[in-house]
Amino acid sequence: MSEVLERHHSAAASPAHVAAPISSEAAAEALRHGPRGAFFLASVAVLILLAGWLAFYFLLFLPRGSIG
Amino acid sequence: MARTEKRWLLLMVGLLTLFMAIVVASTMTSALHPPSNVETIDPVTLHLGGEFAESNLGTAQEPDGSLTARIVADQYAFVPYCVKLAVDTPVKFRLTSVDVVHGFLLPATNVNTMVVPGYVAEVRTRFTRPGVYSMPCNEFCGNGHHGMWARVIVVPKPEFPALAPTERSSCVQQ
Repeated sequence: MSEVLERHHSAAASPAHVAAPISSEAAAEALRHGPRGAFFLASVAVLILLAGWLAFYFLLFLPRGSIG
Repeated sequence: MARTEKRWLLLMVGLLTLFMAIVVASTMTSALHPPSNVETIDPVTLHLGGEFAESNLGTAQEPDGSLTARIVADQYAFVPYCVKLAVDTPVKFRLTSVDVVHGFLLPATNVNTMVVPGYVAEVRTRFTRPGVYSMPCNEFCGNGHHGMWARVIVVPKPEFPALAPTERSSCVQQ
């Protein structure tokens, strides 16, 4: 049993596989202007949603004719 | 609440308002709204007389030039099997069922309603393109449901007045 455990290594066991530790100053600097990366990603997702909705509504739904 | 969260919330409220404004504006300007006719009829006696008697089914031209197509749905057919209509003309479909719930759908258009026994379904529309529109029952109605379909043929406007009344409710070549 102990031999099996000795042969098993987590990826995190090797320092080369783990992100370098970041200092609190560097983290504060990265977030000084807010979570810009998260906003960028969310904005792209929302823009795709908006474009898809508008395309379906104006290019597919409305040309299929009015109903009442 | 953080400032960034407030901004994102405002953006989302703005987007929802935009969606709603587009829907409301197009509904008001294009008379676009779900069919909501509530009108009852006795499914047991509708074939004996009145609006859905056999002689009254099919396409009729109203005094104002608009067209009304009256169709009865039953297991497993639409009667009549085919109706002819004119393009660029206000059209009113009036349907009812004699047995179970059926569905009325014209692909490539927004025409889509349930046909419920005891009620008259009414859908108003206007076809912008001539052609043959298949008309499948889209509400499972029994073992023969898959074979229940009919046709709507939309002809160019000048051709419609030349059609005899029997031709307007038949796809048989005269």
